[in-house]
Parts: sequence; structure tokens; C-alpha cells
Amino acid sequence: MIETNAPTGARAGLAVFGGMAIFTTLTLLASCATPSKEDAVVGTEHVCSSCHGVDGKSVSPTFPRLAGQQKAYLVVQLKAFRDHTRADPHAHTYMWGMAARLDDATIDGLAAFYASLPPAEGTPGDPADVAAGKKLFAEGDDAHNVPACGGCHGDQAQGGDVFPRLAGQHRDYIERQLAAFSSNARANQIMHDNMKDITPEEIHQLAAYLRSL
Amino acid sequence: MQHQGNFRPASKKAIRLLRRLVAATAMAVLGLIPVGIRDAEALPSFARQTGQECAACHNGFPELTPYGRLFKLNGYTFTGGNSDLPPIAAMVYGSYTHTQAGQSGGAAPGYGSNNNLTLDQASLFWGGKIADNIGAFAQMTYDGVGKRLSWDNTDVRYANTTSLLGSELVFGLSLNNNPTVTDVWNTTPAWGYPWVASALSIGPAAATIVEGGFAGNVVGANIYAYWNRLIYAEAGVYKTLSNRSLTTLGVDPTGSSSIKNLAPYWRLAVEPKWGRSSWEAGLFGMAATMVPGRVSGFGTDHAVDVGIDTQYQFLADRDSISFQGSWITENQSLSASQVLGNASNGRDHLRSLHAKATYYYDQTYGATFGYFKYDGTSDANQYSAVSAANSPNSDGWIAELNYIPFNHGGPAFWPWLNMKLGLQYTWYDKLNGGTTNYDGAGHNASDANTLYLYSWFAF
Repeated sequence: MIETNAPTGARAGLAVFGGMAIFTTLTLLASCATPSKEDAVVGTEHVCSSCHGVDGKSVSPTFPRLAGQQKAYLVVQLKAFRDHTRADPHAHTYMWGMAARLDDATIDGLAAFYASLPPAEGTPGDPADVAAGKKLFAEGDDAHNVPACGGCHGDQAQGGDVFPRLAGQHRDYIERQLAAFSSNARANQIMHDNMKDITPEEIHQLAAYLRSL
Repeated sequence: MQHQGNFRPASKKAIRLLRRLVAATAMAVLGLIPVGIRDAEALPSFARQTGQECAACHNGFPELTPYGRLFKLNGYTFTGGNSDLPPIAAMVYGSYTHTQAGQSGGAAPGYGSNNNLTLDQASLFWGGKIADNIGAFAQMTYDGVGKRLSWDNTDVRYANTTSLLGSELVFGLSLNNNPTVTDVWNTTPAWGYPWVASALSIGPAAATIVEGGFAGNVVGANIYAYWNRLIYAEAGVYKTLSNRSLTTLGVDPTGSSSIKNLAPYWRLAVEPKWGRSSWEAGLFGMAATMVPGRVSGFGTDHAVDVGIDTQYQFLADRDSISFQGSWITENQSLSASQVLGNASNGRDHLRSLHAKATYYYDQTYGATFGYFKYDGTSDANQYSAVSAANSPNSDGWIAELNYIPFNHGGPAFWPWLNMKLGLQYTWYDKLNGGTTNYDGAGHNASDANTLYLYSWFAF
């Protein structure tokens, strides 16, 4: 209706002024906030968090949880993405680009940041799968040339140095990585030797156990 | 004479100031963006900037993945790639259109009545980061059917991040030229399905104002905030450009309506995510007081659109399923159009429904099935030119197959090449109020059924 025209415009105008005031305040707050990390790390970590989660606990199993991951492992992986020596399909889709311009200092800062975050809680799985996975993790399977995992990855799959934390990781992610080691799509001679004869069922059980921790 | 109601002087001043601000903003945008189009999709310049494959941001483009949404909301500023090329990209797409019955006199000036090959669009884009917190998506398009070069979808953003109630708050400001072009879910009109359609076939005559009614005719300033990657809110205002500005930008203002004062736009959405799923539910709306046909002295029309929309995506490692739907209700007050003889009723209603589901395998092979429906008040003066029943009612179906061979990276000689092939078939249950003889000239709705084969390249 014509009678309402001007007030509609005026209300819109005032709403915009109000919005601009909020916008300006937020901008000032954002610019005044004291970063707890180096600027380069802060800026980069914000991009990382798009997929890996603001707390390093990603929602989608396409992307691994990084909270509490071993710093040395993260450094090695980021450098492997940067120089393309880690070349599994998802590395190519996402991480080659992400890591292309990271310098060593930023890689070190990012790795330290994610290592410092409290790891994700475990997610219960099918008890039979979890129990079978636990046995496999602790004892290995001689029939399929799978050694015990805890020797390198720690009794609680907490990892150590360049050996990654596996506890609390997404099941789908673990399964995809173990299959990639098995097929050598993710090139790693030790893990390929350990996984080359593992069965899909054993992969499923191991992943169920690791996610539950 | 226009009634001024209880328009307060202070508000008048505020509006004058705002007009200047919007005009200055438009000038700034135009100065900033050397080139500016329609239906922009996976931009090779974005892929170069981030170093990532198109599939990182797009689920069978132009549909955005959760990461693609964050890339846009953060102002197109994420980097990573090691390319030093400027963020410029180009797009060309051409097509073949076959309609069930030919269109006597030609499908468009210079075209035959049926079975037409054409260059649909050629576009240049600026797509990428400009400064630390500023980025742009801007398109300039040559329309091969209309034979016209004009600015197209343009969205220049400032974005930043802070913390609110202990959670991340991404917020920003967008200067843009099309209501809903700012949106990140593919449910609202600017980026909604169908992504492309033949310009050489007949379709529904009616559309709500938010469905492209002001695309390219306006400049808008929108502010937005996305909290905890869960709740999204946006508000903006749009103002039409002058005939002279539009002509400079390549837009033919003939017959377009101008907005009186400013037209507000708003958007609210919530997007929970779990596992590989993300689900969005939202509301959006726009209100505009318009001078129909830019013919002053006859008062104004007023339209209020309210839309409800939803999207579900399941993105697995190799395949994906997605669904988008929107339902827009428009209330029209047609005082000026009535006086001008363009509408018979003082008030009309119009509703627009769109829904589609898509399956993609390996982000390469896609199948989509969609439905659309328009229904509203019969109005002789609004619709008699196209409808014997004076009705805007149309509904139909779209089935589409796609092949995107380079979504995981282009060929070695040009890794940023992207290409999409489409086979689309649209059929109508009802068109402009009827199934048979809908226009009073003996045409049936099924005559407009359209086979559309297109190939799309971006580089």
C-alpha cells in the first residue's frame, strides 16, 4: 500500500544503520582481539578449521580429527602434502593446495596448536567389532602378517612422535587410510608391509576399536 | 501524488544519506571491479587461489559443499595454492534446444523455430581475494541469445571472524547486485535449480520479485553473521540503479520497475551437521515498493515475498546425495499497475515452489530430478497476453544428466580447465494456466517441453 511506503523505507534505513553499527563494533572487536598464536598460524588455522573443526574435532569423517594428534606426525604429514609425497586421493583434492604455501615455521606452529588441543572422546561401536579390534591391535594377526599396533602407536593408541594418535579417530577415516596403505595409494613402506594382507573385516574391526577409545 | 503518510524528516535525512552511501558504494564496486555475469559456477580462479580441486567446494557445481559455503562466507579469501596468476577466469557455454513443437516466427530474433544451436553465454570473472579480509566474485557476461554484454552476478565482500558466547562468529558485509546472490545454500533463486535453462524455449511467465526480478538492476548492501557454523542471519537493502547507470552496465532498463526508496531483504537459516550429513532449514524474504515500468505519476505497487527453504547434503568420499527445496509466497498490492492497466486486481498472490534431488558419483557423473510449480490469483490484465485463463499457474518436471570430467583437476596442459556436459529435459503439466490451448492460440503446455543439451567450459 502507498501509505506504508515511506515508513517501510525509513525502517529499512534505520535497520541498516543499526546493522552497520553492529558490524563496525564486531570489526573493531575482531581487530582488537589478541591472538594467542602467531598471526600466520591463526590465519591458517582458521582455514584448516573449515574442515577439521574449530576445536580440531571434525564432524565429517572425510576429514581426520586433529585434536591431540602428535606434533611430529603432523609436521611430517604437512610437509608430505607440500612436496606431494603423500598422494592419496584426498591429499590431492584438499591438502596439496592447502599446504602448498605453508613455510616450515607455520607448519610447526599449526602442528603444535593441534597437538595442544584436548583429543576427541571415543565413540562406542558394535561390542563384537570393538573386542575383535582390540585383540588385533594388541596382538596382531600372524595369519595375515599384521603385527601388533601398540608397539608403535602406544598401548592406548595415543601415538608418539612420528607415529600418529589413532584413538578417537573417525572410523571411516581409519578404514580409508588402512585400505590406502594396503593398496599403497598412501605410500608408506612400513605400513604397506603391515597392511598388505589385512582383510576388509579386520580393517573394520580395528577402526571400530580405535574410534571407541 | 504520493501519500507521504507519517514520514518523519529525520528518517528522510537518513534515507538521503543512505542513498548517497549506496550510490558511493556502487561507484566503489564499479571502480574496484574491472569486469563483472549470470549462473557463475566453479571458478578456476578460486581453484588456483586455494590450490584445491573444484570438488572441494562444489558438489557438482554450482552447488556448494560445507567448505565451499565457508569459503564464500569468509569473503573468498582462503588461500593455499601456489599459482601467481591473477584471479581472473572465463566461461563459455553453448547449447542445442529442441522443443516439442516449434515456435512460429523463431525461438528468438535470428533463430529458427526449432532445433537451435547457440552460444548461450561467454563470461569473464574476477573471482578471488583482493586484500586480507576482502574478496570478490564478479562476472561480466555476453548473452549470446540477447546479443548483449552486461554485468552479471557480483558480490564483493569484507569478512572477518570473532568470538561470541565462546563460539566462532564469521561476519561480513557484501555489496552486490542481485537479491539472494549472497546466499550460500543452493535453495534461493540466484543459485537455485535449474542451474541453467534454455533461453530459446517458452517457460512460465510468472515469477516472484525475489526470483531474479531485480537481478542486475540494483545495488545492495548486506550484512551477515554465521555463528558456531550453525545459525546464519543476513539483512540488506537494495536500491535500483538509474536508467543511465544500467545502460552503462549493459542492462536494458526497458520495462523494468524501479524500487522506491530502499527494498529490505532478510535471511535466517540454521544448519546442523552430523557425520557426512548437513541439513539446512531457513527463511528469507524481501519487500519492495515499486514504480512499475519506471512510469512515475501513477503511484506505486508493493510486493512482499516470504520464502521457506531447506537443503540436505550427504557427501561421501566418492558419491553424494543432495536435496533442495524452496517455497516462496508473494503478496502483491497493485495500485499503480491497476491505474496503468497492467493489473485488473488491486491485490494478487503468487506462489513459487521448487524442489530437486541429485545423485553424483565420484563428483563426475550426476543425475537430477526436479519439480516446479507456480500458482496464484487469476488476473486478466497481468496474464491475458500469455494465458487464456488469465492465470499464472504452471507446473512441470526437470530431469537432467551431467558429466563433469575434470572436477578432480583438468588435463595436464591446463589443470584449471573445468567442463560440464548436460542433458536436460523439461516437461510441463500445465503452462500459464492451462494444459491444452493455454494461450488461446492453440498451443498446449506440452508444446513447450524442452530438450536442452549444453556444454559448459570454464578456464
